[in-house]
Amino acid sequence: MRQHVAILDCGDSAVVVKAVHDDADHRWRAVHALADALEEADLAGVHGLVPTYDSLLVEFDCADTDHRSVRRSLEAALDRLGETPEERPSKLFEVPVVYGGEHGPDLPAVADQLGLTEQDVIDLHSGAELTVRCLGAPVGAPMMDGPAFPAPVARLSSPRTSVPPGSVAVAGKQAVICPMRSPGGWPLLGRTPLRVLDLHSERLAPYRPGDRFRFVPIRPEQWGEHAGAPLGAADG
Amino acid sequence: MADHLVIHRAGISAVQDLGRFGRSRFGLPVNGALDQFSARAANVLVGNREGDPLVEVAMLDFSCTPSTDVLLAVTGAPADLTVGGVPRPQWEPTAVRAGETVRIAGIRRGARVYLALHGSVEAPSLLGSCAPDTILGFGRSLRDEDELAIGRGIAPIDHPVLRHPVFRLGVPVPPFPEEWTIDVTDGPDIAEFGASAAKLFDAEYTVSPQSNHIGLRMRGDVPQREARGEVLSRGVPVGAVEVPAGEELLVLHRGRGVTAGYPVLAVVTATGLSALGQVRPGQRVRFRKRSVEEAVAAYRAQRNTLRALRKRVSTVFDALRIPTTTPAPATEAL
Repeated sequence: MRQHVAILDCGDSAVVVKAVHDDADHRWRAVHALADALEEADLAGVHGLVPTYDSLLVEFDCADTDHRSVRRSLEAALDRLGETPEERPSKLFEVPVVYGGEHGPDLPAVADQLGLTEQDVIDLHSGAELTVRCLGAPVGAPMMDGPAFPAPVARLSSPRTSVPPGSVAVAGKQAVICPMRSPGGWPLLGRTPLRVLDLHSERLAPYRPGDRFRFVPIRPEQWGEHAGAPLGAADG
Repeated sequence: MADHLVIHRAGISAVQDLGRFGRSRFGLPVNGALDQFSARAANVLVGNREGDPLVEVAMLDFSCTPSTDVLLAVTGAPADLTVGGVPRPQWEPTAVRAGETVRIAGIRRGARVYLALHGSVEAPSLLGSCAPDTILGFGRSLRDEDELAIGRGIAPIDHPVLRHPVFRLGVPVPPFPEEWTIDVTDGPDIAEFGASAAKLFDAEYTVSPQSNHIGLRMRGDVPQREARGEVLSRGVPVGAVEVPAGEELLVLHRGRGVTAGYPVLAVVTATGLSALGQVRPGQRVRFRKRSVEEAVAAYRAQRNTLRALRKRVSTVFDALRIPTTTPAPATEAL
C-alpha cells in the first residue's frame, strides 16, 4: 500500500500518514488497517495513534525514537498489509434524538444555511444509516459520514466552551455525537438522552469504526423514557 | 493511620502525572502535567520515577503539612517557598519535618508549580494514569483539608540544629520571562495560508482568559487561510496552532481533543509545550520558527539534562543513604 499514502512530519513528535487513493472507503480502511498493524507492532516511543477518515496521526516521544525510524516502521507495516485493506465488521445502533429547541440550538441556522426547512434537515439526518468512521474528540465521540445535505455545513466561527453530553452535531460533511460535556465548534441539531460511553470499560465506547448509527426523532416529552440508558447495538 | 499530607490551602491544585498514553485511538487526550520538564525535574530531584504522581499548583497560594518527615522538591514558576516559615530554594530537594508547614506563595511570571515528594503521593488511577481528565470527569482538584497518602516517608536528613539546606544540585532552571517566545515548527496545513503565514512570527499575541489545559486562545494579528472549504476532521497533535475563522489563534495543549477540523498552521515543539504550560492569561507570546531537527535536538538536550540530574541525585542520595531508617550524618551543602 506504500504507493497509496504520503507520510508527512507533523511537528517534532508526530508524523501524519495521508491515504491517497481514488476511493474514500479504501482510504479509510487503509488508515485503520495501518493503525491496527502499528498497535500490534507496539513500537518503542510511539504512544498515540489517531486514525480518522483518510489520515493517521502517529505520536511519539522524540527522545525515544525519531521520524526516520517511525517512517521505516510505517513503510514495513504498509508492505505487510498488501494492496487492499480488509472490510471492517459492522453493527447497527439506534439513537433517539430530540431535535431543535434548547437541545439543538443551531437547527434553524443550519436549515437556513442549507436553504432547507428545519424538518428537511431532521428528515435527512434521521433518514439514513450513518457509518462511524473513527472515534474522535471529545473522548470517544463517534465521527460519522454526514447525512446527504446539499452542501457542507460551516463550523461555528467561535467554538462553544461547553456543549452538553449527548449533543448531536454536524459540520462539513460529517456528523457526530458529543459523549461528554466539552467545548465544541460544531453546529448542534439535537440531543440524545442516552448514555454514550461506559467509563468502566477498557475501550470506553460500545461502537467501533465501521458500525452504523440511525437517529430516531423523539418528542421532548419522551426524553425521560430514555434518560441515562446505555447505548447498545440494535442487532446485538 | 498511614502517613499523609494534609492540604491546608488547596488554591487551584491537583495530583498529576505525565499523562494517559496509548488511548488516543479511543479519543482520549493524553493530559498530564502541562510543564512536563518541571514535573519530571521535581520527581528526579526527590529520587522518584519521572512519571510518578505529584502535585500541580496553578497560580494561587498553596500550603500543606506532612504527618511524617519527608523530602520534597518544588519546581516550575518562581514562587516563595517556605518550610516552617523559613525560606527554602526551589529546584532543590528540601527536607521537611513531620508537622512543619510547607507554603508556596506568590507564584509569578509563570502559571504552574510542581511539588514532588520522595516516595510520591497516592492517587486513583484510570487507564494507567492519575492525570485528571476534565471531559471524562476523572480526577478532581484538591480541596482545603484534603489528605493525600504518602507512598513512604524518610528519616530526617538535614542538620538537626542548624537546618542548613543539604542539597545544591544546580538544576539548569528554564527562564520564566514576562513575555514568552514559543518555538514552533511548520504545521501540515501551512501552505493553505500563503504569505499570510509569516504573520505568526511577526505578530505578538495576548493570551486570553479563556485558556486552559485544553488549549490557549491568543489574540493578535491572525494569519488568514487562503484555501476555502472545510477541513475533514483528523488527528491533531498536542501543540497544534489552529486558526479558526475568527479573531484568535487556538493553541492546543495536553487536554486537547485528539481530532479537529481547523487548519493547523504550526506545531509547538516539545520544549515549547513545557514553556507554554507556564504562560499566564494576559501575558504576551511571540512564536519562533524552528526546523524539526532543531526541535528534536532541543528536546533531547532537555531530557539529557534530566538524565544528568538523575545521576547527581543518585550519587548524593547514595552518600546520604536515602532511603534509610538511620539518620544520615549532617552534611554541609554538597
